[in-house]
Amino acid sequence: MATLTRQDLNFGQVVADILCEFLEVAIHLILYVREIYPSGIFQKRKKYNVPVQMSCHPELNQYIQDTLHCVKPLIQKNEAEKVVMVIMDKEHHPVERFVFEISQPPLLSISSETLLSHVEQLLRAMILKISVCDAVLDNNPPGCTFTLLVHTREAATRNMEKVQVIKDFPWIVADEQEVHMEEAKLIPLKTMTSDILKVSHSQLFCTESQVSWLQLKHRCSRISLKSRCKT
Amino acid sequence: FHPLPWRQRVAGGYMAAKISKLEEQFQKDAPREKQKDGTSSCIFSGVAIYVNGYTDPSADELRRLMMLHGGQFHLYYTRSKTTHIIATNLPNRKIQDLKGEKVVRPEWITDSIKAGRQLSYVQYQLYTKQKGLNYSSVCARGKQDPSSIHEPSKPSLNHLQSDSIKPQPSHTQTLSTEVLKSTHANHKANFTERSNHQGSQDTLLTNGYVHPVNAALKPQDSFAELQLHVVDTGSHQSHLPQTESRDREEPSCSSSGSKANSHQRSLISTASPAKQPGLHSIVRLNGSYHMTPNSSTLADSSNPPGRSAAGAEAGIISEFFSRSRLHHISTWRNEFSEYVNALQSRSRAAGGAVFSGQEKLKKLRANCSSGVLSLWFMFVYLCSLMAAPQVRQSCILHVDMDCFFVSVGVRHRPDLKGKPVAVTSNRGPGRVAQRPGANPQLEFQYYQRKQQQYRKEKTDGDLEMTPSPQCDEVPSNGVDLDLAALSMAEIASCSYEARQAGVRNGMFFGRAKQLCPDLQSVPYDFQAYKEVALSMYETLASYTHNIEALSCDEALVDATNLLVELGVTSDDLARAIREDIKEKTGCTASVGMGSNILLARMATRKAKPNGQYFLRSEEVDDFIRGQPVSSLPGVGRSMSSKLTSLGVSTCGDLQQLSISRLQREFGPRTGQTLFRFCRGLDDRPVRSEKERKSVSAEMNYNIRFTQVEEAESFLTNLSMEVQKRMEGAGLRGRRITLKVMVRKPGAPVEPAKYGGHGICDNFARSVLLAQPTDSGQLIAAEAIKLFYAMKLDVKDMRGVGLQVQQLEGSYADPSGQGPSRGRSIKDLLLAKQPAHSPRKDPPAQGRSSVIRTEFFKSITPPSSPPSTSSDPMPGTSKGGLHHPHTPNHVRTYLNVSIEVPSPSQVDQSVLEALPVEIRKQVEQSWRHREEQPSTSSHLSTPPRTSSSPPPGPSLGTLVLQLQNQPGQPCTTGIILELPDVSQVDPEVFAALPRELQDELCSAYRNKGNAQAQGITVGKLKRRYKKRNASPAKKGPSPLKKLFPGNSPAKSSPSKTLPLPLKHPGLKTENVQCPSSPSTDVPETLSKFNPRPVPTLAGAYEFSDIRTLLHEWVTSISEPMEEDILQVVKYCTELVEDKDLEKLYLVIKYMKRLMQQSSESVWSMAFDFILDNVQVVVQQTYGSTLKIT
Repeated sequence: MATLTRQDLNFGQVVADILCEFLEVAIHLILYVREIYPSGIFQKRKKYNVPVQMSCHPELNQYIQDTLHCVKPLIQKNEAEKVVMVIMDKEHHPVERFVFEISQPPLLSISSETLLSHVEQLLRAMILKISVCDAVLDNNPPGCTFTLLVHTREAATRNMEKVQVIKDFPWIVADEQEVHMEEAKLIPLKTMTSDILKVSHSQLFCTESQVSWLQLKHRCSRISLKSRCKT
Repeated sequence: FHPLPWRQRVAGGYMAAKISKLEEQFQKDAPREKQKDGTSSCIFSGVAIYVNGYTDPSADELRRLMMLHGGQFHLYYTRSKTTHIIATNLPNRKIQDLKGEKVVRPEWITDSIKAGRQLSYVQYQLYTKQKGLNYSSVCARGKQDPSSIHEPSKPSLNHLQSDSIKPQPSHTQTLSTEVLKSTHANHKANFTERSNHQGSQDTLLTNGYVHPVNAALKPQDSFAELQLHVVDTGSHQSHLPQTESRDREEPSCSSSGSKANSHQRSLISTASPAKQPGLHSIVRLNGSYHMTPNSSTLADSSNPPGRSAAGAEAGIISEFFSRSRLHHISTWRNEFSEYVNALQSRSRAAGGAVFSGQEKLKKLRANCSSGVLSLWFMFVYLCSLMAAPQVRQSCILHVDMDCFFVSVGVRHRPDLKGKPVAVTSNRGPGRVAQRPGANPQLEFQYYQRKQQQYRKEKTDGDLEMTPSPQCDEVPSNGVDLDLAALSMAEIASCSYEARQAGVRNGMFFGRAKQLCPDLQSVPYDFQAYKEVALSMYETLASYTHNIEALSCDEALVDATNLLVELGVTSDDLARAIREDIKEKTGCTASVGMGSNILLARMATRKAKPNGQYFLRSEEVDDFIRGQPVSSLPGVGRSMSSKLTSLGVSTCGDLQQLSISRLQREFGPRTGQTLFRFCRGLDDRPVRSEKERKSVSAEMNYNIRFTQVEEAESFLTNLSMEVQKRMEGAGLRGRRITLKVMVRKPGAPVEPAKYGGHGICDNFARSVLLAQPTDSGQLIAAEAIKLFYAMKLDVKDMRGVGLQVQQLEGSYADPSGQGPSRGRSIKDLLLAKQPAHSPRKDPPAQGRSSVIRTEFFKSITPPSSPPSTSSDPMPGTSKGGLHHPHTPNHVRTYLNVSIEVPSPSQVDQSVLEALPVEIRKQVEQSWRHREEQPSTSSHLSTPPRTSSSPPPGPSLGTLVLQLQNQPGQPCTTGIILELPDVSQVDPEVFAALPRELQDELCSAYRNKGNAQAQGITVGKLKRRYKKRNASPAKKGPSPLKKLFPGNSPAKSSPSKTLPLPLKHPGLKTENVQCPSSPSTDVPETLSKFNPRPVPTLAGAYEFSDIRTLLHEWVTSISEPMEEDILQVVKYCTELVEDKDLEKLYLVIKYMKRLMQQSSESVWSMAFDFILDNVQVVVQQTYGSTLKIT
């Protein structure tokens, strides 16, 4: 049984691949569950052995793919702190936010073959949780759009520019307005821990909030992909 | 669909083509343009500019100029190709986007063309935050063609420095120094500088102030050589540091006359010390970096500077730190902490401390039966006190010596008593000559301006280079001119008489002398300080061992229990302590007393000088309202100025601000602290050892590098110093931060204070290592990497610091105090032997509940055998754990001798190592004992000593994490807290109050049930740990509650209710009872786990937690504070562990449980928990949990 460590090039890549794949599935599912787009554009698929919904709108899919494409190198280098899916109302005020908090243990190794199936189990649990999350959330106003933000760790922003994939799909620093939510409340959805990754998946939505996002701003670590996704 | 990305992506194809086409066009146009205009050059080769917005000259003109002078002009900005952005103004957003790019004003191009060479862009930067980005080009140029630098006529001579100095007319002298210096440096001789330094060090010996002209002490031949060099380079003659060249000095130099005079003066004054053979070491003492041996020969000084400097520098850092006075004093605190610890362990080893001071006081009281009370008697005494509970407020004493350095300095000089006295290194008249190159006025103005800016809250910290009107006035202002020549030796301490005259600590001596002409200076006397401080600590230790060393001259004493024990008032105690100190040290001390540390410290202010003040709780409100905010700990200059801008000057004003306002202004944590502090609330415990957050070594004195190699080897040496310190502390760290002070562009090269850092910019970079390290080599390698990443000009470096954070306990404890990897359990236990001996403990101190619970948590869950041989958890040493003063309820508990493990559990070797009487007692208890049904896995579980774990590395990790790690076979490793019935000494039992007896009986009945339940026992036991964390449950009675799972109904409210009341009595009354010889309980050695999982009383799985909470809520009618805190702590850890889901579930479950409970206290408890958790969640995630 070979032991892979984080230092192994492959390992980081494997983790990033798994995570990005999961994020893609999750984002599609959230779009469906939160009714950001008409259900007509979604198709039922099977992922992690559970039914999920996936959009078949090419441009939307492209956007999500491009975004995750850029996130992947960040995850690989453990530079992405959170991937946030912000759902905004017509006036582009965020109404809810799905935060995928990613923390990778600095020093870990995988040595078991059963691990992948274990990870799949965890991801499945998360997907299932997302599919029922509307039970705990309020309905969104009609005409919502969404945007994807990445909270990077310090200094990642600058390095990002050098990566070719990211150059092709440029990012900008998110506006305070997009990140800041008035009176937000946190609803933890699911936390998963495995030897290779740890994703806590929580969600915020309006009720009460303060300014602590500023902390992030100080570090200039927030970048987001700004785009209006509206069909 | 993609408004923004789309456009940019299109750029990939079309734009790329367009850009390359434009480039081609540009290249084509260039020769033609050059032909047209005769004045072409290549000064901008390698430069590609992009013009942003309106500029003067226009973009077109700039394009033409770039063509002419070999540069590139980009119509579209590309980060990779464009080297400079030309703009005259930029919106804020763009500036942020362009962070790290060179944004330059167009004048850079025009001026460069005028100068005929590419000027440093640094002076032309559009905005100032760009500093320190790219000095490399400058350095590189300097290195590439040293030949050009030999000729000062060539304009490329170190243009950075000359540029920066040009605009300041008063700086001609600085300029010349600089030119000379740089020329020399490039001559690979470094002659002047080194000789200057040596000369200046000579001067330093006498008055701590120097000017480099004073090199006349050097042998004549080296002078000749020096002169030769100077003439060779054709540099300014005025700088010749020779007496005979004085006449050649430019008379226009305003200070040269005085300089020459003072030069002569200092020459005379330094003549004799320079001849002393001890010079070398004295120079080292002053931490000088440019060290040259006294007998500097010509050959020596003509060495290549890199090599000789590096050679001289070997070991310099450790020398610096081992000799540096300030460093010494700052380490004293640690030393005294250790001293206190040592006292405690010694007294433990000796079988009990003798508190002479206490005895004295006791005699004074003469109503307390002193001497060693027998254990059983003590217990009875305790129980009787439990029946009559008394609540005692905690009392903290803050003992502070009155102007310590001064009073020590004058203690054998009665002639100076009552006179204004200052302790400083300067012994002269307070005046010294000004060194050339130094510009105190400029620095003075800078600091003044900076202060003003503070007020205005302006952040533009750039140096203004044009002489302001203020600058012109300064020379005519006599006082200020004088100031320049005043001694800049700082006053370490001054007497109250001097303070009346306006002299303050930290003031420059010269200035102080002006304020108070008869100010007497007293030299430092480090030996005496140490003596006096030591005897002060000895005095304090003669009363109690619950001392927290704050510095060499102040300490905190937790006297809560001492007062109860002695039955004296705090005033009596303070008086006794002060008299004692006065008698033993000859110096006076002031004592402030209050119910917490904050109040005690504030009271000290009022007590001073030579007085005492007890801040009664009823006076607190009035008192604190009148205090200035600056008297609060943690409120420094910047914060108080910020507060002033909010209209706050006193704590009373501060109280008017809401907590949310404060948190908004100062951040969540600081805001909360301020909010509490200004109300006199402070829950910090007095602890003898503080956890360490970082280990660092920093040097910002006399850092003058000339070569990169020097900086490198300096960093290596500094790393070694850090390694030494980390080894000393037994720590390893993961985050390495390199802090560098760099001369601010435009600041004088030589600061006013000799060897000082002058006006600097501070930079810091850090790197996170994959694994914690304490290896100097590793640290050095990282530091050098960081150093290169910063791209600094080594010549401008003025201070270097290395800091290691994110500490963990080191695997190997060099001190041998702690267990190290690979040692057997036996070794481990033997190392702890002394701790097994009976001790007559000092009165247990009323430490904060947090510490108490921590202690219990760390000792209660014994881990499984395999883990015992592994490393100690980081964090075992936190706070109170080191503290031998185990809270007395522990001892009470232990005294009942219910914790003797079964014979099978005890390591025979350990038993053998025990003192005879203890062994006997242990064996005796075994005889009484029936066969224990415990598992064999207990066999190697060592007996717990009644002492605290060995002092090990202290860390920020929470002790709760020590709990049984999931996956460990904790079920087997747990020992029942309740001893076997047979173990209970009937005598003790009989001595117990009736109530307790009943409770114990029922507890034992329950225990029987519990064991009958077989498998669940382990789980239950684990749960009990949490119960045990509450002190009230330490006594026998609450043990009953440990088995609520089986019979919750039995814990009727009527029985449990009195407990909380008894608790204080228990806590306070278990005074100076010798601890039971049979107190050995299994020792906990937690497994080292890099990623501890939060546990609640050992429970990790949610289902366990749930059962635990359920039992807690249903079986107890009134929650204990400790338990609540425990839960809060667990929740906090969940947040830190980012396990929000579990947190959410736990909170929701608690809400359901507690709000259903008939008792309203539970509801309140839940609210309390929720509030606390929400604060933490808010801090971490920026919003609160939604709890429906």
